Amino acid sequence: MHVDYFNCVKKNNMGRMGLILLVIISTIAIFAPLLTFYHPAETSPNTLQFPSAKHPLGTNDIGQDILSRVLYGARTTLVVAFLVGITSTLLSAFLGGTAALFGGLYERIVMRIADVFLTLPSILVIILITSYVRPGLLMLVIVISAFSWQGGARVIRAQTLSLKNKAHIAAARTFGAGNLYILRKHILPDLGPLMVAGFVQHARRAVFMEAGLAFLGICDPTTVSWGIMLNRALEFAYLNVWYWLLPPGLALSLTVLSFTFLGYALEETVNPRLRVKENA
Amino acid sequence: MLKINDLKVCYGNYRILKGIDLEIRQGEVLSIVGESGTGKTTLALTLLGLCQGKVEGKVTLEDENILTLSEDEKRTLRWNKISIVFQDVARALNPLMTAGEQIMEPMLENKLYSLEKAKARVLTLLKEVGLSQGCADLYPHQLSGGEKQRVLIAMALANNPEVIILDEPTSALDAITRVEILKLLKKIAAGRTVIVVTHDLSVAAKLSQKMAVLYSGRIVELGETKKLLQNPKHPYTRGLLRSFPNMTTTKDLQGIPGRQENVLEGCTFHPRCTQKISRCEQEVPELEQQADRKIACHRGGIVTLLETRDLVKKYNRVKALDKVSIELVEGETLAVVGQSGSGKTTLAKCLMGLEDSESGEIFFNGSKLVNRKKEFYKQVQMIFQTPQECISHRLNVLDAVIEPLNIQGIGSREERKEMAKKALQEVQLAVDDSFLKRYAHYLSGGEIQRVAIARALVINPKLIIADEPTSALDASVQAKIIRLLLDIQEKRGLTMLFITHDIALARKISDRVAVMLSGRIVEEGPTCEVFSSPQHPYTRDLLRAAPELSSHYSQETKTLQYCQVLKLQERSGY
Repeated sequence: MHVDYFNCVKKNNMGRMGLILLVIISTIAIFAPLLTFYHPAETSPNTLQFPSAKHPLGTNDIGQDILSRVLYGARTTLVVAFLVGITSTLLSAFLGGTAALFGGLYERIVMRIADVFLTLPSILVIILITSYVRPGLLMLVIVISAFSWQGGARVIRAQTLSLKNKAHIAAARTFGAGNLYILRKHILPDLGPLMVAGFVQHARRAVFMEAGLAFLGICDPTTVSWGIMLNRALEFAYLNVWYWLLPPGLALSLTVLSFTFLGYALEETVNPRLRVKENA
Repeated sequence: MLKINDLKVCYGNYRILKGIDLEIRQGEVLSIVGESGTGKTTLALTLLGLCQGKVEGKVTLEDENILTLSEDEKRTLRWNKISIVFQDVARALNPLMTAGEQIMEPMLENKLYSLEKAKARVLTLLKEVGLSQGCADLYPHQLSGGEKQRVLIAMALANNPEVIILDEPTSALDAITRVEILKLLKKIAAGRTVIVVTHDLSVAAKLSQKMAVLYSGRIVELGETKKLLQNPKHPYTRGLLRSFPNMTTTKDLQGIPGRQENVLEGCTFHPRCTQKISRCEQEVPELEQQADRKIACHRGGIVTLLETRDLVKKYNRVKALDKVSIELVEGETLAVVGQSGSGKTTLAKCLMGLEDSESGEIFFNGSKLVNRKKEFYKQVQMIFQTPQECISHRLNVLDAVIEPLNIQGIGSREERKEMAKKALQEVQLAVDDSFLKRYAHYLSGGEIQRVAIARALVINPKLIIADEPTSALDASVQAKIIRLLLDIQEKRGLTMLFITHDIALARKISDRVAVMLSGRIVEEGPTCEVFSSPQHPYTRDLLRAAPELSSHYSQETKTLQYCQVLKLQERSGY
């Protein structure tokens, strides 16, 4: 499985689309300070203004520039997405991989915990926890990750189990290799495609989750987040503030869409059975 | 009785004999074997008092020290008490004297017989050695090699000595003449004390009851000829036996690594020994009694490297291994043969720790294996049956061969690369960059198998468990690889557990063979014995099924009776 992810994704129409979208959103997030005139937290007496040359998307109820908030909001979303993607992928790889490698009681315990997490409606649990904790960004990442590793762990365990019995791993053992060497050199590289696909899935879920929690108003209200914007804007919906409501919604949809497209494309490269015949 | 005590001989500074202790009883035939240059002939000449070098020690014949005798006394000793049949038949006879005159010479010189009686005795002696009476008047150039040899033997018998020394009695003769001369020697040896000096082990086997193996001026192994030849315990004796072409053993010829050196310290054989330890380089081993023989080796002879006792492995209810006990000594090949499903691969996996055995013990290097550490895998390597699968698709040739070195942490990066290249060269593969960067799945079956072998060899293991290493190869590549493994065995004392279903191959490469059937070893022994007189019906079937080149296939003996019985039993749920 020598997968050239970049090229495979590039060849795929959906993948190309998702990639372009993600690059645009990331660029905006990175260069947000250059693209805006106001700091997103900066208030002004000009509240609830209609879009104008000064404020291209108008201002909100406390006079903050909506454009600034949308652009800066991409930062929060992407940071959460990437961090959750990485932590939950590593967590699932570690737990699934070690469970398969060590076996025995350890494996049974880990897999039963994974089963419990799978059966729990994790969104509800996360809402419950976060509404008590009122987490900051980092805490939010941890909480979301803690509830999204289980599916990945099962997949990775299954794959590791099949890898474990491969002859080249037996060969490595007969050279005197320990579990860690085998995990690092022989198993992780072959789990790569699965982990990349998992990463995108987790990231997409995290975008959704963060926005959702913020929309419900159960996270730090000072964060610049699309969810919070939606939440606030809905309160003023009677004033017909479409310029406030629409942009964060659109941005959110595009981000989720980009991850979804990427996910589809990756899945196709990883699982050749889904691949549409190229030369047919 | 002839007794030799601490005999030392040197020519100038060069010590040729370094302390020989021997005892030859009356009527006993002792052979002294070894490569040329080990001091065999010097020993023979010293016994006759003909040695030119400086001699120390004692040689006692009938309570008389030969070495301290005056030149005159020695002269009466020669031919009367000790005589010799010289090595170089062509040069030992005087071309200007007839055969009869030469046979008479010792008799007349010592004034034991009158001329008349001597002439009569010549004729009886000629008859005794199987020559016609007419030969007495012939000159050496008129005699054939065999006849000259007989004349020399007659000379040695002339004065009816107690001790006869035969120095390479048959080295220059053709096979048929050789057999005749051996018969003659056997006849005349009866009742006499005979020392046979030879490098021809078959001569030693035919003539002698006792055998002393001489190396570099020291006796390394001493015991009954039959036992020494059947089961050599000193690595040198085994080396001699392996390099000696004969009709008894079937394994390909192998030599002894290195060449004879003048060793000043430690065991004389240590530079060529494959199982030496540091002690061997410092101390001289004493010739010590060990079970049925005397042996001079710090390690007590060839060591047992791997031993299993009653190994049992079950897969559910099927017994894959049923009380398997094998023993592997240093530098030998044990072939495990049997049809597929007989438990051969399971045995390999249990030995390597890839499968756990239910019960039974494994001993490695004399100590029981409980858990296998890195150190174990540095000494024991496995060549897998499926080379394509045992090399990760992510590794190119170089990475694959370097992997064992990385895991074992041997050498620096550069050194590892060099070692890997060397191993690849050993298995006759290219070492250019384009080949080193190629992935395993781009290689041919033969190439990938050799890469797998190079991986096993690169950390220089002592024991290789080879599971059908050549089953996927065509015969010519297989021949090369087998040659390579045997060469390494010769050079480094590589021990091999060779799993194969190819009986013909097993016959050529193994010292011993174990026949496996349904997880049990049904027959085990020296390859030549097992294959020439198989005891178990299954072994007989295996031999019948072995490949051969003759076109006769219709013989009724070709039916595999035992296998048919087995199949019937299986069908009836036995």
